[in-house]
Amino acid sequence: MGATRMNRLRASLGRRAPLKLAIVATLLGFFVGFGGLAGTTAGLAWTNTEKFCTGCHEMKDNVYAEYKGTIHDSNRSGVRASCPDCHVPHEIGPKLVRKVHATWELYGAITGKIDTKEKFEKHRYEMAKRVWSSMKETDSRECRNCHSREGMSKELQSAKAQSRHAKGVAEGKTCVDCHFGIAHKEPDGPGPQELSVAASK
Amino acid sequence: MIYVNTVLSLKHTVINTKETAMNSKPFSLLASFAAALVALAAALPAHAVDADAALALAKKSNCMKCHSVAAKKEGPSFKETAAKYKGKSDAEKKLITHLTTNPKIKVDGKDEEHDSLKTKNDAEVLNVVQWILSQ
Repeated sequence: MGATRMNRLRASLGRRAPLKLAIVATLLGFFVGFGGLAGTTAGLAWTNTEKFCTGCHEMKDNVYAEYKGTIHDSNRSGVRASCPDCHVPHEIGPKLVRKVHATWELYGAITGKIDTKEKFEKHRYEMAKRVWSSMKETDSRECRNCHSREGMSKELQSAKAQSRHAKGVAEGKTCVDCHFGIAHKEPDGPGPQELSVAASK
Repeated sequence: MIYVNTVLSLKHTVINTKETAMNSKPFSLLASFAAALVALAAALPAHAVDADAALALAKKSNCMKCHSVAAKKEGPSFKETAAKYKGKSDAEKKLITHLTTNPKIKVDGKDEEHDSLKTKNDAEVLNVVQWILSQ
């Protein structure tokens, strides 16, 4: 605002103009802030849906088609884990980091990096490696969002599974070292066990 | 299908050949016999591996819980198995036995039964075995 407009505004507000201005500015700040927060939360929630992820044909025709019918999609109890449950961290910090990384996927979509089946297959191993590496670094954090080691009932889990799990833990393995290629087609090449990534967390 | 076609074409060739033997040159007679023989020979080995069906049966039989096609898991990868049995004439027989009779295997020094394929169909078992050996 020009200097004279400000003077006129101050004059029209009468006494205690600075205070009144400050109150209005604060209230405005609250509303804008609240609106921004609500919008961000809504945006985060919207980009965390199966429907949003499968909006891109690169996902829908390839990995989503492979995922359909697997145990995380359809099972006896109807408890599902879809795209965001395994590929987006639940904690807010890592989730925001992941969302920032995801904007790079927009670039890939524009340049058509994996927009045909052939291109997708060419990059499948590279994409799988990225997910496996991140899982190994976090001790399969996204798996553990739903599957808890302590929650595995000794009465209900098969003896074979229990002994394998005990062995895996003893060898310092993480979930994904054995449980890979479950939701999507296994890429050709070495698996998570052969990736040299230090499991830290 | 290939068998039927080959048998029919062979039959056709034999009948034709009998007729043509009466009135055409010996060279074309030889050529038609040779063609039929080649067709029969080509059809003799089992038909091509159905990779999709093999993988589906493997998944159904829970093979993939311990085995991966190329990666390291609990059991040897199919690529490793194929390499181990390369050039061995009894490979198919050994694998068929392994996948249908629940033999004992050593896991962590303890004996465990190896699971078998969830099928009674011999052709399906052979398909999976051939698929594994082709990795």
